[in-house]
Amino acid sequence: MSTTTEPAAEAAPVKTGPGAHPPPGGRNRGKRQTVAVQQMAGWLFSTPFLVLFAVFMALPIVATLVMSFTDFGLRNVTDPFSAEFIGFENYTKLLDDEKFLKALFNTAYFVVVGVPLTVGLGLFVAVLLNNGIDRARTFFRVGFYAPVVTSIVAIAVVWRFVLDPSDGLIAGLASEVGLTSPDFLGSEALAMPSLIVMAVWRNLGTVMVLFIAGLQAIPPDVREAARLDGASTWQEFRRITVPLLRPTMLYTTVITTIGYLNVFEEPFVMTQGGPSDSTLTVSLSMYREGFNFFHMGYASAMAYVLFVVIMAITVLQLRLLKDNTK
Amino acid sequence: MHRTARTTSAAIALTVAAGITACGSSGGEGVAADKKQTLTVWAMGVEGEKLAEVAKVYEEANPHITAKVTPIGWDVAHQKLVSAAAAGTLPDITQMGSSFMGEFVELGVLEPVDTKTFKKDAFFPAAWEQGVADGETYGVPWYVETRVLYYRTDLAKKAGITKAPTTWPELQQAASDFQDKAGTKWGISLQPAGLDAVHSWYPFLYSAGGSIVSDGKAAMDSPETVRALKEYGTYFAKGLAKKSFQPGYEVLTDFNSGDVPMFYSGPWTMTGINDNYPDLKGKWAIAKVPADKSSSSMAGGSSLVISKDSEHKEAATEFLSYLTDTEGQKDWFKRSGDLPANTSAWDSGELANDANFKIFREQMETAQSWPVLPQWTEISSKADDAISQVTQGKASAEDAAKKAQSEIEGLVE
Repeated sequence: MSTTTEPAAEAAPVKTGPGAHPPPGGRNRGKRQTVAVQQMAGWLFSTPFLVLFAVFMALPIVATLVMSFTDFGLRNVTDPFSAEFIGFENYTKLLDDEKFLKALFNTAYFVVVGVPLTVGLGLFVAVLLNNGIDRARTFFRVGFYAPVVTSIVAIAVVWRFVLDPSDGLIAGLASEVGLTSPDFLGSEALAMPSLIVMAVWRNLGTVMVLFIAGLQAIPPDVREAARLDGASTWQEFRRITVPLLRPTMLYTTVITTIGYLNVFEEPFVMTQGGPSDSTLTVSLSMYREGFNFFHMGYASAMAYVLFVVIMAITVLQLRLLKDNTK
Repeated sequence: MHRTARTTSAAIALTVAAGITACGSSGGEGVAADKKQTLTVWAMGVEGEKLAEVAKVYEEANPHITAKVTPIGWDVAHQKLVSAAAAGTLPDITQMGSSFMGEFVELGVLEPVDTKTFKKDAFFPAAWEQGVADGETYGVPWYVETRVLYYRTDLAKKAGITKAPTTWPELQQAASDFQDKAGTKWGISLQPAGLDAVHSWYPFLYSAGGSIVSDGKAAMDSPETVRALKEYGTYFAKGLAKKSFQPGYEVLTDFNSGDVPMFYSGPWTMTGINDNYPDLKGKWAIAKVPADKSSSSMAGGSSLVISKDSEHKEAATEFLSYLTDTEGQKDWFKRSGDLPANTSAWDSGELANDANFKIFREQMETAQSWPVLPQWTEISSKADDAISQVTQGKASAEDAAKKAQSEIEGLVE
């Protein structure tokens, strides 16, 4: 990176790394000036990012926080200054909001069941693909990864066909053997598990790819040494593969958890939160409050509750999983 | 800290104002109608594309006007309009769906309609009502839609049904006859739950003489409304209609296969059947909504509004007159198939002579529109909840109505 631009290249001697080279062309400028140029260049190159970050990330984050303490509603859209500060009222209202509590519960359900399934299956598939099938490896990798890059709308069409109780794929198979298919998305008990299966299928590919990368980073001589010592496949997996994959496992668990805590698309396209709010998630109810009903202040409070929950769980996961690696 | 009736401090001012730019400039004097000028127009979906054709025709007759029509997708329309309203960049003329109207009146970005130019009695009453809020008119009716009963005549013959059902008991009888005698999977398709389930329920609600909000007060627990909820629920309790709900369900597939012999829908479905299921030709018909107290359906459609900030109000008004007078409306029907909101446009040609359009016109005369309220989406979502409670058998019509009533009371001041 440091050799692509002239100011950065000139600045190289300032660094005292082992790879430092003398300045090209032997031009002599004061050290101080070089530092200044370097700094300016640094700021110059970061400016686009900083501006974009400020406008599209930092500002909305702060605005949302401020909004969550106001009664910001529809009429404030054209007149934002007339919104009133109401302190923690939005937050206390959330505690009494049956729908929100249900959404919290549903989201927790989604995470608790969905994350272990996604990470576990992702690891399983990755190990299989890394070791087992030789010829068709690429084919299967693409197959498992395809859902990741497919539009959710297309996925919804396919899954509705699979799950449709009257003429869907499962219903068809069931009737072959003389059974009737349950109404997966129409039943309060089955709707959420159905969405979880769909989400696992959809996110498996990402996790799998990360695990495959992790598996391939394990030096083959470690395995060879284990095998020479007479380790069984299972022992090799437990004692070599799993410990060396810990960083990947930590990473996939954290990102999958964050993704599932934010789950929105699956219930939005498949059930709209129904039946009877059994698939209403925090993000979906936030969307409704904010963009359907224009309770921007209230929706912002929801967003911050979700933010704090995600933060807490992530910190917890990092602690728990990281300590184990030592 | 609690409810201190103060305008917010510098923090929100800074953060919010930076995101949402200063509100609309105050329009100034405005440009006279006969001056050379450009009108900006936003219209949704296919209508946006068709309107661009009309604009070309208009430009030829009025060379001093350039009408720039921008089509916007229905799926993004709401957010786009709200952001434009917030930024003060709404176009001179905007198409407005009947469910958006309340919000934009509340935002104070619409210019009241000049009722000398646009006469109330030229339009269907329900269409006109869609633009009226707090006694002031904000929208000129552009096109209308209402829901009627679609049914399969060939299956009706099998089921021994000799004429279209005209009352509630006849409708329910027909539904069970279709199921028992013609072997259809369901008797009728009604939306059991989910967003906008109310649309499917309106023909029952209005025919029973009920409403969700009446004279600015919640009316969910009125005897008429409860009666409509109860009747709606029986179709699900008896297994005549499918209890589970799929977002994006396409009824025509099941209508074609014969699984569903009846459903309520609007005029676009005639085109939908003719285009996609030509084999159904001669096997289906439409009828007015079966009556309880009366046969009354819901009225929907779109209006056209002028922005308060527009500098071209005079020219915009002239363009709107062109679009909504008798000739303009006939022309629009030919191009788009949308039903004219102007009643005199119905008096000749296909609209006057076609049996199906006659049914739509009759239905439109008594159709009702929901009140124009800023919180309408939220209010109707409470009715959606009540409907799903009843159709899923989780609450009686009385209890569901009572719950919705108390929630809606909190929303209408």
